[in-house]
Amino acid sequence: MRGKFLQAILVLVAAFVVFKFVIRPPMPFSLLSLYMAITLLAVLLYVSSDSDSWRAFVQPIWATLAEPGWRPLRLALGILLPVLVGYYAYSQAGATVGAPLELRAIHPAPPPTISFRGKTIDLQVTDTPVRKDAVANAQNRAKHLAAGGAVYIQNCVYCHGDNLDGGGHFAHGFNPAPANFVDPGTIAQLSEGYLFWRIAKGGPGLPKESAPWNSAMPAWEDRLTEEEIWQVIYYLYATTGQRPRVMDAGHAVLPREPAAPSVASVLAPREAAAQAADENRGKPVYEQKCALCHGASGKGDGPAAERLLPRPRDFTAGKYKIRSTLSGQPPSDEDLVRVVKAGMPGTSMPAWEKVLKDDEVRAVVAYVKAFFPGFKEAKGEAAKVPPEVKSDEKSIARGKEMFEAIECHKCHGQAGRGDPAPGSDLKDDWGHPIRPANLTKPWTFRGGPERKDLAMRLSTGLAGSPMPTFFDSVEKPEDLWHLANYVRSLGPDRPSWATFLTVRPATGDVPSDPNAKVWRDLPGANLPLVGQVIVDPRNFNPTVDMITVRAVHTPQEVVFHLTWDDPTPSDPTKGAPKPDVVALQFPRGGAGGERPYFLMGDGGKPVYLLTWRAGSGVGEATAAGIGKVTPQTGEAVQAKGEVVYEAGQYRATIRRPLKTADQADFAFPADQFFPIAFWAWDGGEGEEGAKAAVSAWYYVRLEAPASKRQFVIPPIAVLGTALLEVGLSRWAQRRRGGATQEPR
Amino acid sequence: MHRSRIPATLVGGLAVAVALLGSSGPVEAQGGTIAGEVKFSGTAPAPKVVKVNKDVEVCGQEKKIAEVAVGAGGGLANAIVSVPGAKGAKPAGKAVLDQKGCEFRPPVLVMAPGDLEILNSDGVLHNIHTFSTANPAVNKAQPKFKKSMTEKFAKPEVIKVQCDAHSWMLGWLVVTEAPTAVTDDKGSFKLENVPAGKHKVEVLHPILGKQTKEVEVKAGQEAKVSFELKK
Repeated sequence: MRGKFLQAILVLVAAFVVFKFVIRPPMPFSLLSLYMAITLLAVLLYVSSDSDSWRAFVQPIWATLAEPGWRPLRLALGILLPVLVGYYAYSQAGATVGAPLELRAIHPAPPPTISFRGKTIDLQVTDTPVRKDAVANAQNRAKHLAAGGAVYIQNCVYCHGDNLDGGGHFAHGFNPAPANFVDPGTIAQLSEGYLFWRIAKGGPGLPKESAPWNSAMPAWEDRLTEEEIWQVIYYLYATTGQRPRVMDAGHAVLPREPAAPSVASVLAPREAAAQAADENRGKPVYEQKCALCHGASGKGDGPAAERLLPRPRDFTAGKYKIRSTLSGQPPSDEDLVRVVKAGMPGTSMPAWEKVLKDDEVRAVVAYVKAFFPGFKEAKGEAAKVPPEVKSDEKSIARGKEMFEAIECHKCHGQAGRGDPAPGSDLKDDWGHPIRPANLTKPWTFRGGPERKDLAMRLSTGLAGSPMPTFFDSVEKPEDLWHLANYVRSLGPDRPSWATFLTVRPATGDVPSDPNAKVWRDLPGANLPLVGQVIVDPRNFNPTVDMITVRAVHTPQEVVFHLTWDDPTPSDPTKGAPKPDVVALQFPRGGAGGERPYFLMGDGGKPVYLLTWRAGSGVGEATAAGIGKVTPQTGEAVQAKGEVVYEAGQYRATIRRPLKTADQADFAFPADQFFPIAFWAWDGGEGEEGAKAAVSAWYYVRLEAPASKRQFVIPPIAVLGTALLEVGLSRWAQRRRGGATQEPR
Repeated sequence: MHRSRIPATLVGGLAVAVALLGSSGPVEAQGGTIAGEVKFSGTAPAPKVVKVNKDVEVCGQEKKIAEVAVGAGGGLANAIVSVPGAKGAKPAGKAVLDQKGCEFRPPVLVMAPGDLEILNSDGVLHNIHTFSTANPAVNKAQPKFKKSMTEKFAKPEVIKVQCDAHSWMLGWLVVTEAPTAVTDDKGSFKLENVPAGKHKVEVLHPILGKQTKEVEVKAGQEAKVSFELKK
């Protein structure tokens, strides 16, 4: 009958396995505990159904506690249980606090009509003016599609992406993330009128009842006409192939848009492979996917071009940056296929791998090549990169030596941050300004961050840009690899973005010197900064794309340490027209409650700023919206700090007492999450006011100093458990009337 | 193009007169010579002063860039005079382009299709970045230890050359088989070994444009032609 106990245990274990690993999707812990509790109750009910069964069930427990023969097991459990309890107590005593939850309502109910530029728009319309026009004939369809595409590529692509999948250039910097139109859960579930409301009124127009928001979606009412909005809506549905929801089934069924003919759909598979390289098959792909940036004639002059930096490539010149062929020679077909599939990181050229099939890629490459007649005559000669040299300390040291000997630092900066000598006006072959790569950010390298990519770039040069080939221009051929190894060692291949910040407690004096050792020893939290593309004047090409934050606090004050890259230091006291500025943003009304609008708040919910301005120093300000910043002056400014600029990088410390007498200031609460956001302006590029690099709201907490609890509670728990065990076992033995008087 | 300011001591007119009257060079049975001058009418624009932002030990503190270089007497320097279509004699010697003092020397180089030797006499990083379309576009680095390199220009073309490391550096390569000459700082030129007959003579200046004139060349004689370019 010992089996009863074992049976019970087996049932519990089997139940746990089924709940945790078999049932899909995985259930939350609360549900799991509920089911296990019910199972335990059921098991206990079963074993206690009659006294025999109960006795059989309980017998092993008694034996463990009281029987002399079971002493080894008693001892083992006696040690194991307190250890487990002690560990649990330790982990709970030092438990970290999770970030505060953010509740968000999705798809609030739209109003039936809205006012748009003084006109009343019926949102429950089934046949919008553009759609009515478009279904009439194919010419209108093409016209509205082209117009909608131009609106999209000039305004929406930065967040919602080239592939309409919410993966735009700036998407990673905003929270909530931009909508993915390809997902069947977004526009396919909505009516066109709903979309009109969202586009016209934007984030600020979201209903207050469903707050909190902080959506980065701009209100386009002031920038787009009614027709343009209907056109871009039409473009969204036509390009993603989704159909909008119609309010009333009795309305006319909208004709399904014919999908753009794909190469594969036109030909049988075998024919497709053979004829994929035919440039004519690439034309429809090019016109649907590429022309909006690269232009109908391949000159890099599509509607998107004027706002992009770097600009889309002009195919008619036949000059390509990312190649495997020698300098001055055209690229191989594989080079172009590679760039189309993998995209060019750090630019607006997306990776088309997941969107275009292999034969479509080859067809469009053939079409693109036709823009440059020189392809017919010349065939690129492959660059023979010397055999690979492994990356080790010696190689990197030699690479650093070569970096200085061939003077890479003259353009790329002493530390490789892309800061050339002041006054350099580097231009590409078309006369547009071009920035040398920041070698400490390999994830932005156009041809990829691998060492072999770097060695190839050095061998071929980047045609159309000032970057020359160094193939014959190094002391020894292997130096190309030493240089590649050195450059690759300057940064990680992917930035690791932080999600929230913890300000650790510090003892003693916190130095203001940004280069002090204590700052270098602290791990930094990287946060992305993206262009402010919501309010005019918009910043499509921000200089600063990342800020690294460190912070400590004492019982009296908090000290923030910020690091960001800027190739051109701009100080008005030294002649620059506009200053470089950085700001930390906090809500003015206190830490709790709904956060203000992340773009400097508004009249109802203003924000508080800790600022640093080149030439003026550290300051404080309050803001009730972009352009409505009121700096504090004189005695009211209690923030202090120091800033150094070195080889393309700013490092700043900004400190302030935790609480100040000034009512307008933000009071830093202890051990509670509060919101923080970041702003940066590159004065050298004319960034000021709304033209800025901005971050979304993040949460930060001043961590209380580690309490002694972690070292006091676990031993007490262990001791308590051990004593409990001893007591229990002794009682059990006495109950059994055991002959032995052994303590355990 | 870069030109250093010349002191206005030389009497340009006297030199021009000598050039016009005298005839130097061998007289060949088949060909003749065309000599003359190119003048700039109007006031010459002042040279731009560019502050040197790197390698000042080699480049100096500033550079005066005269895009339209006019000497005393109104002669236009660095203009390219050629007889397109005719076949001239190969220029003697190797084509050599030097980067010295952070300038291309000569600022305008005439060469026959073939190899060009490029020297870096400066000991700092320069790069040769050509904007050629008929010939492959070249962008090659020339660090200090690479004192000389050779590039091939096989097709006739007028090619702009620049150095990206030093943005004021600008040069021109005239790859041609036709008789071509570059005007000196007085604006005078001499085209030799021009086949006898009627020809179109063309002058080309990167900023001021082109002009063509008809001239008749007699064997063993020198034909005179002059041009006047204006903005």
